[in-house]
Amino acid sequence: MVQLEVFLQTLVSGLLLGGLYALIGLGMTLIMGVMKIINLAHGELMMVAMYIAYWLFTLLGIDPYLAVFIASPALFILGVLIQKYLITPVIKVESILPENQVILTVGIGMVLASLATVFFKSDYRSTPVDYASVTWYLTDYWANSPIELSISLLWAVSFFFSIMITIAMWFFLSRTDIGKSIRATSQDSDAAILMGINVNRMRSLSFGLGAAIVAAAGCLFIPLYYLYPALGGQFTLIAFVITILGGLGSNVGAIIGGLVLGVFESMTSTYIGMGWAPVGRFSIFIAALIFLPGGIASLLHRRRFGK
Amino acid sequence: MRKTLSITFTFLFLVFSTMFVYAEDFNLTIPLPLTGTQAKFGDIQKRSYEIAQAEINAAGGIKGKKLVLTFEDSGAKPEIARGIVEKLIDVQKQPLIVGEYTSSCAKAVAAVSEERKTPYLVVVSGADDITQQNYKYVFRLNPPNAYYASGLIGFMKEVVKPKTIAILHESSDFGTSGADEMEKHAKALGMKVLMKEKYEKGAVDFKPILTKVKSMRPDVVYMVSYVMDAALLMRQIKELRLDAKLFAGGAAGFAIPEFVDNAKDASEYVVTSTLWSPQVKYAGAKAYADKYKRTYGDYPSYHGAAAYSALFVVKNALERAKTWKQDDIRDALKATKMQTAFGNVAFVDQNGYQNQNFLETLVLQVIKGNHETIWPKHTASAPYLYPIPRWKDRK
Amino acid sequence: MKKYMPFITLGFFLIFPMLGVSTYVMHIFILLLMWTTIGMSWNLLSGYCGQVSFGHAAFFGIGAYTSGILYSKLSMSPWLGLPLSVFTVGILSFIIGLAVLRLRGPFFALATLASGEVFRVTAENMEWLTSGTLGIMLQQRLWVSKLPYYYIILSITVAVFLLMKYLLSTKLGYYFVAIREDQDAAESLGINTTLYKTIALIVSAVVTGIAGAFYMNYMGYIDPHIVFALHDISIITIMIVMVGGVATQWGPFIGAVIMVLLQEVVRSIPGLGAMHQAIFGGLLIFIIIFLPNGIVGDFKKIKRFFGLRSA
Repeated sequence: MVQLEVFLQTLVSGLLLGGLYALIGLGMTLIMGVMKIINLAHGELMMVAMYIAYWLFTLLGIDPYLAVFIASPALFILGVLIQKYLITPVIKVESILPENQVILTVGIGMVLASLATVFFKSDYRSTPVDYASVTWYLTDYWANSPIELSISLLWAVSFFFSIMITIAMWFFLSRTDIGKSIRATSQDSDAAILMGINVNRMRSLSFGLGAAIVAAAGCLFIPLYYLYPALGGQFTLIAFVITILGGLGSNVGAIIGGLVLGVFESMTSTYIGMGWAPVGRFSIFIAALIFLPGGIASLLHRRRFGK
Repeated sequence: MRKTLSITFTFLFLVFSTMFVYAEDFNLTIPLPLTGTQAKFGDIQKRSYEIAQAEINAAGGIKGKKLVLTFEDSGAKPEIARGIVEKLIDVQKQPLIVGEYTSSCAKAVAAVSEERKTPYLVVVSGADDITQQNYKYVFRLNPPNAYYASGLIGFMKEVVKPKTIAILHESSDFGTSGADEMEKHAKALGMKVLMKEKYEKGAVDFKPILTKVKSMRPDVVYMVSYVMDAALLMRQIKELRLDAKLFAGGAAGFAIPEFVDNAKDASEYVVTSTLWSPQVKYAGAKAYADKYKRTYGDYPSYHGAAAYSALFVVKNALERAKTWKQDDIRDALKATKMQTAFGNVAFVDQNGYQNQNFLETLVLQVIKGNHETIWPKHTASAPYLYPIPRWKDRK
Repeated sequence: MKKYMPFITLGFFLIFPMLGVSTYVMHIFILLLMWTTIGMSWNLLSGYCGQVSFGHAAFFGIGAYTSGILYSKLSMSPWLGLPLSVFTVGILSFIIGLAVLRLRGPFFALATLASGEVFRVTAENMEWLTSGTLGIMLQQRLWVSKLPYYYIILSITVAVFLLMKYLLSTKLGYYFVAIREDQDAAESLGINTTLYKTIALIVSAVVTGIAGAFYMNYMGYIDPHIVFALHDISIITIMIVMVGGVATQWGPFIGAVIMVLLQEVVRSIPGLGAMHQAIFGGLLIFIIIFLPNGIVGDFKKIKRFFGLRSA
């Protein structure tokens, strides 16, 4: 019975963690899908959004969940500006290796992290909201339960939102004109130009949207984590794993990829050792690259079209 | 080619231009991590060095010379730390080295200092082997990692009397050696070590591992964490209602004010070993802590106290040294016997360590949202609370 | 002038230590040469052959650990790690290659990035072999003086420079560029792309591994976070070549001059504090936008800008 409890609790935390991971990966999958560039400043964009949420909470007492409505538009603008004034010029020029853009994003990330250190100091910060430790316990509802499971409010909320954002994104990309144009750009930008789509605008838009989503992720994330200027790097890596696992540009793939990754990592932590969890993360990543190059999205497509 | 040369010369010029120093000042450059993930601890120390600098200069400087501090950012990268120290020794002719924080940087700096026969005062780097290399020129102000938990072990032996322990630690040098030492001590006390697991710094979700801990029902959960992981661990322990007789932390992340701020009520009753607290009865400790709090809004951790005191150790040694040559300063450091805000300082060769300062380590407990010193009894600022209530029974 | 440049540079580096420079400058120059070597190796695989690797830290770390483990577990001289790492890195890079070389473009980049991380975490967890995060520390380095280290790394750099020059003048060089420009076309011309990509990977990895083994001997301390670092090793390597000039012979050297010397200078400017990284990042962005092929690759542009030659 104890073993069952361990297993179930691990599963639950894995799913919740996966939801959170998916949220961070959603923005990246959009950016990578449309522009085919590796954005190594992704985590730093989240860091910026988290600082916005932090200051709104500390100075004005605005709840981090409400800060989404300020941080997301702000990051949208930042994303569009980065795309327009930094990335587009680099894409335009001829260069031997297209990976120039990657180094550009490294530079952007360096500047953002360093400016955060200069302006906000290297202090660790957090938003201690009142409901931070609200948790639901199985035994509270079912007193005779032989096992104890718990779900924390904050984690549940972020899980819920990542599902909602995925649905909203899916709706936007597949049902609206702009969304369709973005998808066309991502599939074949030359053809998209021929169809009269303003490809540059779509790129700016998708970078902005990607930044806005990661901003939302940051706002949902800050109540249950903490914040410091150098926080970005590790989450950039996680976002990559999810993007590849889920399939470039696929929202549904990203959320499934996130859940798979979360459960896989949690299981590794429990049954092999927490020190090995990152190995699990990157092995699954390499395996996905090699054996499932289209990601989970390709599995979904195969089913849908009956191939 | 011309380009390369001109770059090189510009560079050389910049390097040499830093050589112009004012005769009446004593310049001391301190390498610290001011960017990157360790920047927080670099900052605490930088501020504390500055407080000490102001006090020393207000009291007439060192042998009449004004102490001028500069800080160089090593970003916690050993090759950069090494570069800085090579520059200090060779170009700026600084007769002694103070500073650095992470153990990997301190090791790099210690190696250079020993080779160049320049005394190096390690201020607050924990790794045991820094002072186990038979280095002649390396001195350490803080006790080594192996001794961090000695106070805590005394507390467990006399009060908690646990039979089993689970150890979780951060995968850095600091976390690993702290956990290894605790394992050794626990076995010596007849405790059974149920598990010892490490995690990557910055982990988000500890619940899987904590669930496993919960299923083992240990008497003590001992955790070694750098910073905010500590608060996350306690918050998630609370979420899981993981009950144990004692939740204990191994300094660093558990001993800084951010721990209580962030973990809030989950931090209640948690004990942690520490090297220092603002409540210690060493002369000057309280004055320093208050001064720090007035300027920066929070009480400093032991990192700051060590940095603050280090400058006074330097001043003391320089005043006793026959000349300000490296070897004379080394001899003076070796003969140090003084009182600082960090405790009594003397560098001894003992238990396989060389030039090591040993201090009594303390145990803090979070009581009503404050870190109180509870052990050893003669320094206690509040009586300890034990046994601790189960999570379910807390409000 | 251009013909004699290699000799002038070499001459400068040969007599440089005799100019009475401080050990600090020597340290910086040793790092500069080490990074030039790593940059040249990356340039072969990524610049010429077009397989952009984000995981050179894996090879660097394996080389460093080969040296370190020789010393800590077998009590042998860590210098033996330099020749031995040829084998360890060669074999391991071959295995990595089997997995990642079938991938293309950004997928290859990400797979190498992940393999670097896998090695880091593995080194952290295999405590019986690597001492985990405690790292490996040399009790005493062989020499206190910088001179031997300087000349060793200088000869490695020169040897690698000549090796690259030779490799690229053979048919291999053309195959590499053909693969970079259009892999499918190269394949249809009968070039065994997998074979040549593997060759490029292994040569590149081995050179980086030797640099890693040198690092262990020179710095005297390694741990997984240092030698398998994603940002501090893998990405710095890429930046060095990108800034200097991709697929150029002098690019890695010029890039290393910028990244090592200039970064040190910017870092040393007093009173900047944490700002130095922002300045340096800004500089990088500037170089990438205005000189997309690096300083050597776009040297004409620079000349034109300064009005040295009207185009």
